[in-house]
Amino acid sequence: MPCSVIKKERSGIINPMYTCQPAGAQFAGIGVKDCIPLVHGGQGCCMFVRLLFAQHFKENFDIASSSLHEEAAVFGGVKRLEAGVDSLVKRYPGVRVIPIITTCSTETIGDDIEGSIRKLQKMLARDFPGRVVHLVPMHTPSYTGSQVTGYNIAVEAMVKTIAKKGEPNGKLNVFTGWVNPGDVTEIKHYLSEMGIDATVLLDIESFDAPIMPSKDSFAYGSTTVEDIEGTANAAASIALNRYEGYSAAQYLQKTFDVPATLSPTPIGIRNTDIMLQQIRKLTGKDIPESLLRERGVALDALADLAHMFFAGKKVAIYGHPDLVIGLAEFCREVELKPVLLLLGDDNGGYVKDPRILNLQKTVDYDMEIVCNADLWELETRIKEKKIDLDLIMGHSKGRFIAIDAGIPMVRVGFPTFDRAGCYRNPVVGYKGALQLGETIANTLFAQMEFKKDREWILNTW
Amino acid sequence: MPMKLLECDTLIPERERHIYIKEAGEDTTQFLPVSDSATIPGTLSERGCAFCGAKLVIGGVLKDTIQMIHGPVGCAYDTWHTKRYPSDADNFQLKYVWSTNVKEKNVVFGAEKLLKKSIFEAFDAMPNIKRMIIYTTCSTALIGDDPKAVARAVMDERPEVDIFVVECPGFAGVSQSKGHHVLNMAWIHEKVGQVEPEITSPYTINFIGDYNIQGDSFILHQYWEKLGIQVLSHFTGNATYDECRGMHRAQLNVVNCARSAGYIANELHKAYGIPRLDIDSWGFSYMSTGLRKIGDFFGIQDKVEALIAEEEAKWKPQIDWYKERLKGKKMAIWTGGPRLWHWTKAVEDDMGMEVVAMSSKFGHQEDFEKVIARGNEGAIYIDDGNELEFFEVLTMVHPDVIFTGPRVGELVKKLHIPYVNGHAYHNGPYMGYEGFVNMARDIYNAINSPLWALAGQNIQEGELL
Amino acid sequence: MSQTDDMVTFIQEHCLWQFHSRAWDRESNINGILPMAFQILTGETPKQETPDERCYFANANRLAAEMKDDLPWLEGLRKEELADVIDRVKDKIEDIAVKHSLNGELNQPGY
Repeated sequence: MPCSVIKKERSGIINPMYTCQPAGAQFAGIGVKDCIPLVHGGQGCCMFVRLLFAQHFKENFDIASSSLHEEAAVFGGVKRLEAGVDSLVKRYPGVRVIPIITTCSTETIGDDIEGSIRKLQKMLARDFPGRVVHLVPMHTPSYTGSQVTGYNIAVEAMVKTIAKKGEPNGKLNVFTGWVNPGDVTEIKHYLSEMGIDATVLLDIESFDAPIMPSKDSFAYGSTTVEDIEGTANAAASIALNRYEGYSAAQYLQKTFDVPATLSPTPIGIRNTDIMLQQIRKLTGKDIPESLLRERGVALDALADLAHMFFAGKKVAIYGHPDLVIGLAEFCREVELKPVLLLLGDDNGGYVKDPRILNLQKTVDYDMEIVCNADLWELETRIKEKKIDLDLIMGHSKGRFIAIDAGIPMVRVGFPTFDRAGCYRNPVVGYKGALQLGETIANTLFAQMEFKKDREWILNTW
Repeated sequence: MPMKLLECDTLIPERERHIYIKEAGEDTTQFLPVSDSATIPGTLSERGCAFCGAKLVIGGVLKDTIQMIHGPVGCAYDTWHTKRYPSDADNFQLKYVWSTNVKEKNVVFGAEKLLKKSIFEAFDAMPNIKRMIIYTTCSTALIGDDPKAVARAVMDERPEVDIFVVECPGFAGVSQSKGHHVLNMAWIHEKVGQVEPEITSPYTINFIGDYNIQGDSFILHQYWEKLGIQVLSHFTGNATYDECRGMHRAQLNVVNCARSAGYIANELHKAYGIPRLDIDSWGFSYMSTGLRKIGDFFGIQDKVEALIAEEEAKWKPQIDWYKERLKGKKMAIWTGGPRLWHWTKAVEDDMGMEVVAMSSKFGHQEDFEKVIARGNEGAIYIDDGNELEFFEVLTMVHPDVIFTGPRVGELVKKLHIPYVNGHAYHNGPYMGYEGFVNMARDIYNAINSPLWALAGQNIQEGELL
Repeated sequence: MSQTDDMVTFIQEHCLWQFHSRAWDRESNINGILPMAFQILTGETPKQETPDERCYFANANRLAAEMKDDLPWLEGLRKEELADVIDRVKDKIEDIAVKHSLNGELNQPGY
């Protein structure tokens, strides 16, 4: 088969593609309103991730640390955890949710998180009567999975802890997965155009915080406690990413009979089409003409680019698994040739992913999909000339590979800190396909001009 | 004035011992913030971990060394693409990070085999690189791995490589500071003296405590070149592993960052009799003071005066131009610790500015002795400041610019206060004469950005035309 | 402000050698540098034989030069008067930086 799926052979990592689980859990936590995650571990587990988010979003997010110190290694860390919750509840009168995110240190020393939570709930009832603070245990040691699984575990934990049976609310739960504010805007736009009452988990549009004359603006997540409680009473759930958020939808199905649908990650025209039709099926709402026109605008723009500029161009894509697969499918729609896909952790499910199986079945040129990959896998293939790329699509930590090899690179995924405003642009939906296409085109055009490679072709197309 | 309990701390009153507002007639025998003590959990402190202090701050700066982080992937990922220290070795130290990628089974059964395999893989992947630092992290420290034994075994098998092991799990100590300490002490006890440097000048120094942020070391190197001083080891800006093994032969240790690397300077004095000369390599006037001290030590005063005259001719008109326009402007400094005392008087003397609030993430009491001695009355001095304290301090003092990290900078931007990156600079380098002009320029452009006036305008009210 | 206080404030604001890591380091610096500064201010050349002495000299020479610039009253002092001031300054600096310093690390045995 020309499309092969392999695993990185080396044991160690050179230039990792993802960071560890607690980062994913923190990303989920900041998407919730009035929520301050507490990372139970060394201070770095929290501080590095706050920096990472700041690099990507150019915003500060409030995340706390239990500041594990040496005595915890001997005596256990629960006292620090309990002190951390106490500090937060005392000093932040508005906090309503505190995810308790474990790390390799606290999982290794075996702290009893659930036991602590029971104790803390008694303390809260006694010392802060009238206040309801949801303590959500998230078991996310760094030595399992990656930021991807950490996010997935966290969203499920949030729903597990907070979802509450009540009257049916007729809403649609939308589990977006690890996306950008621009993606949430696009998804909410569809829901609005179709007249659907939905709970978006997690609604991170408000991450793009403005400067206001009142000076009281800050970046925050908009999914409320009530939203999460209500997920138990929804008419249906749709998850947009198999590896990020689907577990929560499945949990709701199992526990509250809320039927769960998995959408193919809505990157590209066809995937967006399927998602919209799935939503139509779940809600009974029609797809309006307006969305047909948006689809058409995207197709129109892409048709200008595909066979003229994209056909046959070889692309390497790395990042989160759903993102990479979605991007590969989009690339094929516009005649780009993804020849190398890199997925960054050891999730054994990728080889069984129906989308990857489909690629193996239908791709008729040489494509390599590397699982458990690091970025050295990309770099060596380029340096050893095993691959001849026209474009790289991935997050900013691979930038030196592209810079040193002189290969144009479009920043997608997380983090995208070395370009301005990436988080504000969707990659999902029709607008996402449009933006991706035009960004790819403009990146290739800039390269043509820099290299003086037929740059004169750009006057009339 | 006794120590200050801020309103946001009323429910965690132990914070009072960490915050001081200086008043006339007081000195540090009366009031000195408690520092380098346990962090209160859940306060949104700005502190990082010991591993950060060892790898990100010091070890990771070396331009020819594999940084093998023994632990799960996160510690490696998180300390990669987060610093701006270039080198003249094609920025090798910015482009790569290595991890043994410890997984659950390693936590259960041990990870030494994995470490050994990763080491060989790393050396084989880059045959031109022969040096490595291995860092332990929270999990590998807890499971009791012996990386030093593994390193020895590898060095036995491959005599052309050398490996240094730093034991710096994130939970050690209370902040980055522990990592500085551990690395410094291990380096002098295990590595210094193993390489004999080739002496090419009658004047030899180690420059200790500068990490070439945005090319700071390159600026200083120009001075040493002009003075004919040979720097045996720059610890660790733009440095090689082996040059740092030859520190024992220097005649003088010139120290800028006494916090992160005072330890090795002290040990070098103890073991080899090399005197420690503390200077400030930030600051226009400070640079002259420092160079003159070095000139006096070596008896090369003429060369030093010629260099100072040349630099001042080039840069003094510019720093004075900024001083005229920055006079009276106020600054806050919320950084690691030492820049508080390096900058508070320098910006006053050279730029006419007043530092009104300072917070240190990991400084010790020694750093507070220095900053309070140099700093202004009425200024607020905070050890281990947290977010609510920052907000409250900004209601008490009103800086025109804040030197801090990008994340906190993005926070204060919402309050219409510009920040300049106090850790990695905006448009640096900031050391030396030219550097301080760069710093002044960034401050000037920050404060004078038309965007702040626009930010303050509520277009729902009033009329623009 | 008295002359002693004036000079103490000057040294506090300008010098780092009084704040080295341990009590004994601070003592050596204070006892090495201030007497040399006195010598320089009274026109003598201090002995600079050992590396430590050369380093004290570097600090002392700078201190003397800067104090001459910034403390105009130094000019008018007789040698004995200056000796007195320096003595009192040394005691005060030792007091602040060593004897009554609140810095809990000063007497830790190792670095």
